[in-house]
Amino acid sequence: MKVLPSDKIREALNILSGEAEVYVPQMRDDVSGYFIWADNPQVELALDILNTYMSPKNVVLPQTENMYSFSAVGQDANVVEVANPQGQRVIFGIKGCDLKALEALDLAFLTKGYEDEFYKARRQNLAIIARACYTPGPACFCESMGVDRLNPEADVVIHDLGNQSFAWEPKTPKGEELTSKLQGVLVEQDVKLPQAAELKRKIDITGLSEKLAGMFEHPVWDELSSRCMNCGTCTYVCPSCYCFDIQVNTRGEAGNRFRCWDSCMYREYTLMAGGHNPREYKKERFRNRFLHKLQFFNERYGVNLCIGCGRCVILCPNGVNILEVIDKLKEVQVDA
Amino acid sequence: MSDNTMKAREIAKKLLQDGTVDLVLGWEKGDEPYVSAPTVIRDASETDRLVVDEYCIHDLAALLTDYRDSHDKIAIFAKGCDSRGIVRMIQDRVITRDRLYIIGLNCSGMKDPNEYARAASGMSKITPAKKATKCQSCQYPNPIIYDEILGELQQPGADNRFAEIEKIENMTPDEKYEFFSRELSKCIRCYACRNACVACNCRTCIFDETKPQWVGRATDTVNNMLYHIVRAMHVAGRCVECGECERACPAGVPLMLLNRKLIKDVDQLFGPYQAGLSLEGDAIPPLSRYRVDDPDEFM
Repeated sequence: MKVLPSDKIREALNILSGEAEVYVPQMRDDVSGYFIWADNPQVELALDILNTYMSPKNVVLPQTENMYSFSAVGQDANVVEVANPQGQRVIFGIKGCDLKALEALDLAFLTKGYEDEFYKARRQNLAIIARACYTPGPACFCESMGVDRLNPEADVVIHDLGNQSFAWEPKTPKGEELTSKLQGVLVEQDVKLPQAAELKRKIDITGLSEKLAGMFEHPVWDELSSRCMNCGTCTYVCPSCYCFDIQVNTRGEAGNRFRCWDSCMYREYTLMAGGHNPREYKKERFRNRFLHKLQFFNERYGVNLCIGCGRCVILCPNGVNILEVIDKLKEVQVDA
Repeated sequence: MSDNTMKAREIAKKLLQDGTVDLVLGWEKGDEPYVSAPTVIRDASETDRLVVDEYCIHDLAALLTDYRDSHDKIAIFAKGCDSRGIVRMIQDRVITRDRLYIIGLNCSGMKDPNEYARAASGMSKITPAKKATKCQSCQYPNPIIYDEILGELQQPGADNRFAEIEKIENMTPDEKYEFFSRELSKCIRCYACRNACVACNCRTCIFDETKPQWVGRATDTVNNMLYHIVRAMHVAGRCVECGECERACPAGVPLMLLNRKLIKDVDQLFGPYQAGLSLEGDAIPPLSRYRVDDPDEFM
């Protein structure tokens, strides 16, 4: 099998960067995320940790993304330039959970009769080098959410052999292409793939979506939401939360429209013209997030919008835990 | 089960049973030993969920804004820092003292459940501290106000709160700009700092205003700075130094640097003053007072 030795990773990333934007797990100023690769001493690869706190959704949905610039003089308004983020991109080292989230984003942005052109431009030439996951963390529950963590569907799957050397397994023609680009750094070697550790957490969500359809007014939401403080941490670190807002910058007679992540935890998210807010209090906002994850998305696309990466469980400042929420939702009685 | 947990459950049960309060704000265990999390209990039969242990770090006073329009009487557990948060809420007219039954906890410092979760997650290489950062420089480990109290009186630790501030004060303006640009560029604008803050109790936050939109929604260094500097100025003289903003931050922004600089300035320029130490009439924050003989010449 081909192997990417640890001391050749930077070189491999440099080669791939020759023709594409390459997103790699990195530490930047103490924040871990998927950032564009640039080989300089300040860049610290984060391939020796399970995953990054910031999810890779920014590759296809940047937190702030320019859409078009305009000029507005008197009554005249003209679009000056529409952004076109098309180009070759590679994501290196994405985990099966985040890849599953990317598939959910594809459903939201590319199916049901409407294609989001900015998303499509970033997505269509994206080559995926996924990292098989042998040592899940204590907050992981991806398998319960239908993730194949050892054989993710990608162009290339890499397997950590320890010491950050990776077995290299191309899966698609695009993957073969990447392999031939890297022939100078890949070495042929006998490998023994590591033993996969078991996931500590399992949860059965069979039938939950259907049950939730009758639980909108259930009093359990009061109890479940009581510790939530409506910050947006869970939604922003989540790899599959994709809500955005469209905003404008104006300077004199010129400006640009951009989109930026938004969160259903925020007041402004559902604020109507005239001042009415259908989700005035935290219960409504909290309920929406979990119903979107576990019911609404399922009804529309046939899959859940949670992929079990555990980021929200780890990072919620007030200890909201989606597994406990699911347990409770399963437990309560619903009047027929 | 610890002595404090047992007593906490007894007190909560009694308060709910005899109708002194409608609900109890406390903590319960999560599904990892290092997780304690805020909980609301309304039923005397459920008080056995309550726990008081070394992971009860959250400032429960921040949740009082949820009850500002209700008539609920509330029992709330309060460490030293939380009690200052309660003073903040009372002085800011979020809630009245007579709606609260405060169960004080003399506190020897907490561990941060999020730090432990991050350390265990495999997603970072940190070693969690035996005492959370925010507790290491705590000057008020014992509650300021309470109706009853649990635990032994604690001595405050060494006051090294301003060591980092002085380092930054000695930087040149360019160095300061570079330092804060770098730190604030990490911010993902999740507003966890604001929502965890007891001093951020406005009904409509300036950052949620749409007409006008005071701060742009783009996540970039300029708007991040605007957000954090405005927030710091807004809580100047009102920040009770509970450190929850910095603890809640998922991106590791050192927010207490901004707050402590202003705590120091308010103390030196308008003080002596420390926020949240008293409910007496003249203890309101210096920047929230109106005085006819205000020395400021522009008035």
